Amino acid sequence: MFKKFSSEEVSAQNQVKASVQRKIRQSIAEEYPGLEPVLDDLLPKKSPLIVAKCPNHLNLVLVNNVPLFFNIRDGPYMPTLRLLHQYPDVMKKLQVDRGAIRFVLSGANIMCPGLTSPGGALDDKVEAETPVAIMAEGKQHALAIGFTKMSAKDIRTVNKGIGVDNMHYLNDGLWKMERLD
Amino acid sequence: MAEKPQPVRVLYCGVCGLPAEYCEFGPDFEKCKPWLIQNTPDLYPDLLKEAGAKDADKVSDQLQSASISGGSSKPKEEEVKRLPGGKIKKKEKQEVVIEKMTRNKRKCITTVKGLELFGVKLSDASKKLGKKFATGASVTKGPTEKEQIDVQGDIFYDIVEFITDTWPDVPESAIFFIEDGKKVPAV
Ligand SMILES: [Zn+2]
Repeated sequence: MFKKFSSEEVSAQNQVKASVQRKIRQSIAEEYPGLEPVLDDLLPKKSPLIVAKCPNHLNLVLVNNVPLFFNIRDGPYMPTLRLLHQYPDVMKKLQVDRGAIRFVLSGANIMCPGLTSPGGALDDKVEAETPVAIMAEGKQHALAIGFTKMSAKDIRTVNKGIGVDNMHYLNDGLWKMERLD
Repeated sequence: MAEKPQPVRVLYCGVCGLPAEYCEFGPDFEKCKPWLIQNTPDLYPDLLKEAGAKDADKVSDQLQSASISGGSSKPKEEEVKRLPGGKIKKKEKQEVVIEKMTRNKRKCITTVKGLELFGVKLSDASKKLGKKFATGASVTKGPTEKEQIDVQGDIFYDIVEFITDTWPDVPESAIFFIEDGKKVPAV
């Protein structure tokens, strides 16, 4: 999604109304309860919250020009990888084997076998259509943010095709856009 | 209310910007290698072997003892060693690296790495820094298990003078800042 992404793709940046700001905060807090204690630091009530509209119904949530979350249409908010790296435990995690790393880093969606092989790992609590952190065999930090197409249990039993959509990965356009000035 | 989680610090490569552990999958691993050997030798043990160097710990131990016994020895910055096969390998640099991590607009943490290479006791240094800048300072383990000092607040520019005044063994020329992922000399 962010393969070719740059600040030029941003069609409009708007400071959102207080009511919208509250709604965004609330849905982030619901999706990521682990972030709640630091939400006042991340999204200070006094700093304006900016939502940048981008093609393909993508919205970026920015504070002080730093992209922190994104979502599609009214879908769940997902943290940027830079933010997730700081708070790694706020998302459920799935792990790909080492062989899958370079595919994920070239933007490919995550195939079931990469998650079910000995180097992979599945959290059975993960349902379909859930934002997840994509971790990798032998690595400490997440390499992508994914959105599951099937539940972890189905990934295990079906074991073919795309299990997780690759939403955002290291070195994609969003990763490179540390700030939007 | 749940306890506030502390942000995790990730070591990002000074060359390609990825978490250092992903450099091997990055756009140009070769270019990252010198940075990795210098900044996180434990992460890719093969790199050191590749470069023909001995155990990384031994190198830093040698440096440390050299600086303690040698008193005001100059940092052996540009010392090169000719290895069997004619390869030239730089020694692990004896230097202090200061980096500022912004948590949000106002709050940030300044980390100081490498003071121990000059024979400075980190617990002692952390106390002095906390006192001098009237803020919290602590010794923590960095991403590569090396100890570093975290100081709360932005003390980026006052810190150099303080370090050179307090520990004369640390020359200004061995102090570096990390700015926008790039390492720049402090002076
Ligand atoms: Zn690198």
